[in-house]
Amino acid sequence: MRVFLTLFRVNLLFELAYRSNFFVQALESLSHLAFSILGLALVYSHTAELNGWSVYELLALVGVFFAIGGLIGFIIQPSLQQFMQDIQKGTLDFALVKPVDAQLLVSMQSMRIWKLTDVLLGAGLIGFSMWKLQTAWSWLRVGQFALALLDGAIIVYSFWMIMATLAFWLIRVENLLVIFESLYEAGRWPIGIYPGWLRMALTFIVPVAFATTVPARALTGRAQPEVLLAATGMAVALMVLARIIWNIGLRHYSGASA
Amino acid sequence: MESDSAAIVHARDLTKVYRVPVRESGLGAAFRSLFRRKTRDILAVNRISFDIREGEIVGFLGPNGAGKTTTLKMLAGLLYPTSGTLKVLGYPPWKREKHFLRQITLVIGNRSQLVWDIPAADSFELQRAIYNIPRDQFRETVAELTELLDLAPLLRKPLRNLSLGERMKCEIAGALLHRPRLLFLDEPTLGLDVTMQRRIREFIKYYNQRYHATVLLSSHYMADVEALCDRILVIHHGQLLFDGELDELIERFSTYKTIEVQTRAPEGDLSRYGEVIERSDGYVSLRVPRKETAKVTERLLAELPIIDLTVEDPPVEEVVERIFAQGHAGPAPDEEAERAPGTAGGRGAS
Amino acid sequence: MKKSALQYWLRYYRAEIRAALLIQLQYRAAFVIWLLEMIIEPVVYLVVWSTVARARGGEVGGFSPEDFAAYFIVFMLVNHFTYSWTFYVFEERVRTGKLSFRLLRPLHPIHSDLAFNLTYKFLTLVVMLPTGIGLTLAFHPAFEFTAGQVLLAVPAVALAFGVRFVFEWAYALVAFWTTRIMALNEMYYVILLFLSGQVAPLSLFPDWVQTLSYVLPFRWMVAFPVELLLGHLDRGQIIAGFVAQAAWLGLSFLLLKWLWARGVRRYSAVGG
Repeated sequence: MRVFLTLFRVNLLFELAYRSNFFVQALESLSHLAFSILGLALVYSHTAELNGWSVYELLALVGVFFAIGGLIGFIIQPSLQQFMQDIQKGTLDFALVKPVDAQLLVSMQSMRIWKLTDVLLGAGLIGFSMWKLQTAWSWLRVGQFALALLDGAIIVYSFWMIMATLAFWLIRVENLLVIFESLYEAGRWPIGIYPGWLRMALTFIVPVAFATTVPARALTGRAQPEVLLAATGMAVALMVLARIIWNIGLRHYSGASA
Repeated sequence: MESDSAAIVHARDLTKVYRVPVRESGLGAAFRSLFRRKTRDILAVNRISFDIREGEIVGFLGPNGAGKTTTLKMLAGLLYPTSGTLKVLGYPPWKREKHFLRQITLVIGNRSQLVWDIPAADSFELQRAIYNIPRDQFRETVAELTELLDLAPLLRKPLRNLSLGERMKCEIAGALLHRPRLLFLDEPTLGLDVTMQRRIREFIKYYNQRYHATVLLSSHYMADVEALCDRILVIHHGQLLFDGELDELIERFSTYKTIEVQTRAPEGDLSRYGEVIERSDGYVSLRVPRKETAKVTERLLAELPIIDLTVEDPPVEEVVERIFAQGHAGPAPDEEAERAPGTAGGRGAS
Repeated sequence: MKKSALQYWLRYYRAEIRAALLIQLQYRAAFVIWLLEMIIEPVVYLVVWSTVARARGGEVGGFSPEDFAAYFIVFMLVNHFTYSWTFYVFEERVRTGKLSFRLLRPLHPIHSDLAFNLTYKFLTLVVMLPTGIGLTLAFHPAFEFTAGQVLLAVPAVALAFGVRFVFEWAYALVAFWTTRIMALNEMYYVILLFLSGQVAPLSLFPDWVQTLSYVLPFRWMVAFPVELLLGHLDRGQIIAGFVAQAAWLGLSFLLLKWLWARGVRRYSAVGG
């Protein structure tokens, strides 16, 4: 955590020097937001509900989509892209000799501070739709949402980590991650609308469903306990798997470069 | 035309002013600048005049930011002059007319105009189509360039797999396929090792003689200029400070040489041999009048426990600095350089 | 004289396409993956609108799920044919000075982009066609093509490509004036998504958006050929569409010429 805060400070100071980037990012986020909202407005001008989701429930889903997407863009993607580059150029050693857990370090070595705009926008959207839905709050629901969101974040992170670690063996893994980015777009909509084969793919091959639909369901009071349980199980399993592959990869790396 | 009819480049009072936005800090200022930008003018090239005849090799010298690249780019047609007269091959270059473009070429060191991902041979084919080069002439030119630059082993490999020097050779060949009459070479040897630099120099010389092509070259390396150029233009702070032959330039301005010695007695006072300009663990650099170099070297070797000794011409920047300093009062701002009073031949000897 | 000019262009394009092929074949994996976005967007909206149609008892705005499938699958292919990306790369050319070399060639730089784009289109058909067939098998679209529609769709797609390529090339020139092009591109893309009919068939939009779509160029870049091919248009609409395409092509050319002259002037004022 201390490491994170330090890195965050350094990055923040750096970015503050280029404040105009903030406007660019804000403009980009707002375009993105406008796109989502206009799309929703259009769909809901023809129907009152989509696959059991009312317009504000779906807006909450879009909020989660933005928040997780912002998290990926803020830290996961830049860090792991750096990591893959380091592997290819053989400059990973710098991270390995620091007295901090190396996996942790490479996972947050690079940040794009202004991407946090998306996280804030997402939180705003979530808040707004909760207000519109007149949600009766309960600790249970907050807990479920928090758990689902945490699971989602861990699953997405672990998935990226595993993919990035493959760079120890394969070149051009970046391309695989582009697949994730494209498929993540599908998470803007509830996973239930997709035909079976696509739903399976979006749940188990590229775990988009856990990142967006599951937390949004918990938020709107429709959490399914078994799904939450499965998400938690998957989060733990992927995290362990990522660690194992990381260790093997590291051994492979030091073996190759020695 | 009023100028020399053989002049291939004709420039009078050529001037270039850049208008650059002034950046201010703070959010408010950043926002305001979206609507109204504050700008400030920078005089990059200030009323320079010269003529260049067909077949000359002319070197443009000057430190970074002196205006030499700006001048070259104006001549090549990439920048339009703020004022002054400029004719290149009889054309106003900034209009980039097709007949003009077919007769010139531009090579920039460390920059690539051939396609990065494919072998040079394939890029050459593309150049052939772009410049509409007749097949026979193309074959002949490629064969000739291949032999001269030793390209045979390189042509079939993707450009990105070549070393910097190999790539530069391909770049130069690609830039010459249409047999341009006028070559603009901006730092063509930048970052190359010494052997490769020499190789490219020899080639440029050959090309100039074989095709009677005119070459305009800018370089940091004195060696490039020494080996190639009959004539030098020194540009500094946008002004033309010298236009003439190289010998004259050296004679007039490079009145010193630098002797670097490594000695077992580095603490000793060496100022009686020359001006001490640098001193670092065991090494001492001395500035010595050109004419006395041999004598001083002899004395040094005889009187001191010398481990190593090298004699060098001062770097181009220093020569230019000297030329510039001559136009103004006061010495160049040498940090920490204690002036040695005893030595003969102070500044302004020429 | 005329003949030799034609020969020059034929030879030039052949060489440019050959080089583009050599480059693109090296990056085939990356190219295929970039296509994903072109495929996933239409599939997502196909699914969304089919769901809406089913919830509304089988159809919405005259579209059944099978009609939506047909619309979005055809849209995907037409979009592929008319796609252009100059505005994503132009800013870099200006910023790094790569444009300088292109300016010193004795021909307009738009030609090499055109050759590169066309090569990409035909090379990636290897992926797009099977994808179209696969989606057809998965979503059972209601295609009814008549020979006449197919015949008319060919020039409509070609013109749509022309409009989009020239218009976006002109738009890309904004990079001469600002380097903050990313955010602008994002906004441009959002407008394009909606008004070219990528998010939904334009007939599902509110009236004022539809009206807007008729006067802006985006509809003529994709939606028009799609609707033409699917037989949604009557004779009058088809003629009007071709006229609009021709008009926008002409306008885009003028815009391109105008911006190019001023942009290059600016570029050669500040240095490449």
